[in-house]
Amino acid sequence: MADDLPLLILFGSQSGNAEDLSSKAAKEAKSFGIQATIKGMDEIKLEELSNYNRILIYCSTWGEGEMPDNAEDLWQEAQGDSAPSLSTSHFAVCSLGDSSYEFFCQSGIDWDQWFEKQGANRLVPRLDCDVEYDEPAAVFTTEALSHFAAVDSSGNYDSTKVGQEINNEESSNNIEVNDEKSEIPVSTGDGIESFLNSGDRSLSILFGSQSGNSEALASKIAKQAKSYGLEGKVYDMDGFDFNSLSSMKRVLIICSTWGEGEMPDNAEELWQFAISDSASKLDGVFYSVCALGDLSYEFFCQSGKDWDAQFEKLGATRLVSRLDCDVDYDAPAATWSLEILPALAAVDSTGLYHEEMIEEINAFVMGESSGAEGEDGFSVPSQITESVQSQITIFRYDPISASTGTDTWLCALPGNISILDVLRQLKNTQDGSLTFRDGNPDDPNTAILVNGRMILPGLVRLDSVSPIRNNLLKIRIEPLAGFDVIRDLVIDPWAAEVKRESSKPWMVAATREGENTIQGVVGTMDPLVATELHSITDYNSENILYSSSDAVPFSKEYLGPAVISKLWARRKDPRTAHSRINEIDDLLGSPIGIIAETDFSSIRRHSENGPRIAEALLESKNSALTNNGFNGRHGKHVWWYSWSVKSSGRVNDTVIYRQALGPGGLLRNLFSGVTARMIFGFTRTGGRMFNGRLGMIAPPAGIGKMPKQFNNSVKNHHQVVAIFNELDGRF
Amino acid sequence: MALKFTFHPGNVAHSGAPEVMDTIIPVCRTLGIDLFPIDDATSCGAGIIRQANDLLQITLNARTLALAESFGYDILTPCAATLGNLNEDLTKLRDDPLLLAKVNDVLLRTSNLQLKGEVNVRHILHVMVEDIGLEKIEKMVKNPMKFKIAGYYGPNMQQYGFCGEDDVYDPIYLEELISSLGGIPVDWNSRTVSVGVPGIYSEEETVLKQIASTILDAKSQGAQMIVSSCTLSHTMMDIYQGKASRITGMATNLPIIHLSEILSFAFGHHNSRLAQFRTRLAVIGD
Repeated sequence: MADDLPLLILFGSQSGNAEDLSSKAAKEAKSFGIQATIKGMDEIKLEELSNYNRILIYCSTWGEGEMPDNAEDLWQEAQGDSAPSLSTSHFAVCSLGDSSYEFFCQSGIDWDQWFEKQGANRLVPRLDCDVEYDEPAAVFTTEALSHFAAVDSSGNYDSTKVGQEINNEESSNNIEVNDEKSEIPVSTGDGIESFLNSGDRSLSILFGSQSGNSEALASKIAKQAKSYGLEGKVYDMDGFDFNSLSSMKRVLIICSTWGEGEMPDNAEELWQFAISDSASKLDGVFYSVCALGDLSYEFFCQSGKDWDAQFEKLGATRLVSRLDCDVDYDAPAATWSLEILPALAAVDSTGLYHEEMIEEINAFVMGESSGAEGEDGFSVPSQITESVQSQITIFRYDPISASTGTDTWLCALPGNISILDVLRQLKNTQDGSLTFRDGNPDDPNTAILVNGRMILPGLVRLDSVSPIRNNLLKIRIEPLAGFDVIRDLVIDPWAAEVKRESSKPWMVAATREGENTIQGVVGTMDPLVATELHSITDYNSENILYSSSDAVPFSKEYLGPAVISKLWARRKDPRTAHSRINEIDDLLGSPIGIIAETDFSSIRRHSENGPRIAEALLESKNSALTNNGFNGRHGKHVWWYSWSVKSSGRVNDTVIYRQALGPGGLLRNLFSGVTARMIFGFTRTGGRMFNGRLGMIAPPAGIGKMPKQFNNSVKNHHQVVAIFNELDGRF
Repeated sequence: MALKFTFHPGNVAHSGAPEVMDTIIPVCRTLGIDLFPIDDATSCGAGIIRQANDLLQITLNARTLALAESFGYDILTPCAATLGNLNEDLTKLRDDPLLLAKVNDVLLRTSNLQLKGEVNVRHILHVMVEDIGLEKIEKMVKNPMKFKIAGYYGPNMQQYGFCGEDDVYDPIYLEELISSLGGIPVDWNSRTVSVGVPGIYSEEETVLKQIASTILDAKSQGAQMIVSSCTLSHTMMDIYQGKASRITGMATNLPIIHLSEILSFAFGHHNSRLAQFRTRLAVIGD
């Protein structure tokens, strides 16, 4: 690892993009164990370049292939005779430009060639970025840094070390996730161990609790603190001597809120003392606050906020920002504890805070830990997983300003955490305004779309949600399609709910016979029928199934696959009354029923049970078409398609076109440009003008892309006819 | 050694898109693929026949599959919909021995054929990436396709077990192939969504909106064209894009070309067509 060699990040920038990329690269370099120095090209002299063994260049191009203003002088100097030899240096160039200009990325090309000319070793090929440079530049930077990390302290490059020794602990924008880690350099040296075990290691955890949640959480964190060499002691706020805090070094406050922002009963007295003049100063105290509350109340987490502000006012030092928890506090509190405990552990026995030791403490704790102690005394084994370099892009929608867009984070995260945990982490550490539906892992309302895949985010691991390519997982998180978006990833299921309700999904049972039992007559169902009915409605989220139809977003009235699959199950249920079956048939065959589904393949590909549900929907469509006697456009399409295949073994588009559309439809297509695009299609691709002799005899048939009017039969066509006759005599 | 496949061109190549057959033949010759046309093969049903009678479409496709088996080669197709339909029925037959026996009974009586279920159905895209290799393809390129290209997969092919080693939801084969041809692949969301082919006659307005949405997504990401791996979807996006524009009021003009066409252009076949295509892009962009 080349940790004692500086990496020079040199930028030539006109509008700030190259400088911005340089800053990002410098941050990311830390995760490769590289210290980076950023310099503008106007901040360095040419001869100084030879002081650096590793040089990463970001340079934009200006005007007609010119250097940006801040690079011009250096470039001119570089053209002189005094240019230094860089034979011991390694370099990489990322060039920014605009492909609509003739001299695309010329400045970067110039620097790339210049460094090569001076004898420097190019570690990775130059990247020429167009105006959309974010993603390619991010990939380039990661790759370049992994190569720079393979340069040893003597300046020698060892390609076999590329990609090794990557410290994934810290992301480029400092998202820290400490649930489970791997590849973190584990320090088992005596230094850190003795630090964690020497002197005063007390941690005071005060709880203010009304229902017991704060107390339970305080106890849990006290147990957890042992791993960090801390002796956690839990104090009830009731009867606690506030002024004793001034002699303590590490304090945690865990406090719930009661009523209209009030302190819980056991905290009220201590609070009154804390805000009185008798309260002593807390200058040497390091602290943090975990506030429990309920978002549905106006004064959310008010007690915790009050404690936080008062401690600060009295001179205590906040190590980690206050955590405000909603009713589901477990996960965020667990994350918070993993952030605050190493920080508190980094406070030594003399009361000095060693921020620089946090990483080492974490590494030590994770490396030494054989497992977390479960509540029931069992030891839970640590789960070791690869960290994943991730680029996470999330759809954002702000209903107040009615603005949409995306936010992107680059970070390293443990691969085994769920997508829901990723969202929680981003919300807790990066952007509190990020909005998504939280809940249990299998909560169907949490469904989102990730890289075109509809998932329940609590059930899908980060490292399995999409392929990891070039050591980077790029995911794009969006709300489900077909629903109105309330904010960010939160959809409004109301439209689907209204359709479900309008379909009268409840059972209207027929009178039927059953088995006589000692409890009376009990209706029975054949197990095979029961299994089949269950399979039709066996899906984990109605919202996902609703959204799996690509027709739903474009057809407001269409009931959608979720409603129709349930209707079809009712239709097939032997307990359903005949009158209800007739109603269901009418609904399925109506314009908002299964006829409105344009393509089953999109439903088939989503969810584990997609093929079975698509098959059930197909059955319902077959039933609807049969009941309608293959009338209407859709019926005619299906009928004449099948008929033409029976006739020749091939599809006759002309027959289907005429029969399904009728004269009116044909006329409309004639004037809507459809026919014209068919006829003149050959001019656009340079194909043949005439597609057959018909073009000469009966145009427009046979011209351009107009389909054939008459088909030659496939070889052994009689076999096809025989199959039709055997299986479906209707055609 | 040459790769050998039986060949099913799909409905569109047979009827409304002669350019597919014009281009796929020389492309396969260049790639060293020997094609054996199945003269007896029927339409794959395009998911339409099964709406009338599922067993009928399965049996027709079982006949096509059995014919390919008698050649001893897997089926190659340039159409994602054909691939999807044949594979869907093949999967059902493989998974259900009773269904296979029932279908074989019909095939034996009507066509004197039997399906074992050993044949596979492959798309030209998967054969190029997995069997031939992108490095080799890159070396074959004579005319680099220096355009921003949106690759369209469609939903038929992107199903578990149908798309080779590519990812079902976040595929990359087409983008990698475009890069190998010298093009710049565009990152866009709609590349696997349906453009509603089976519903074009009955649900025209919905389908036209689907088409418009797909094309607009590609355009908004800077694509100069869409390359479609589905010949059936190509027809929708190409022929109906003007009408889609009228319905939605949005500018949906964008050149849509078949995968086989761009391969042919890149490999140096049909240079005059490429010249016309370049002119079309430069002058009208439509």
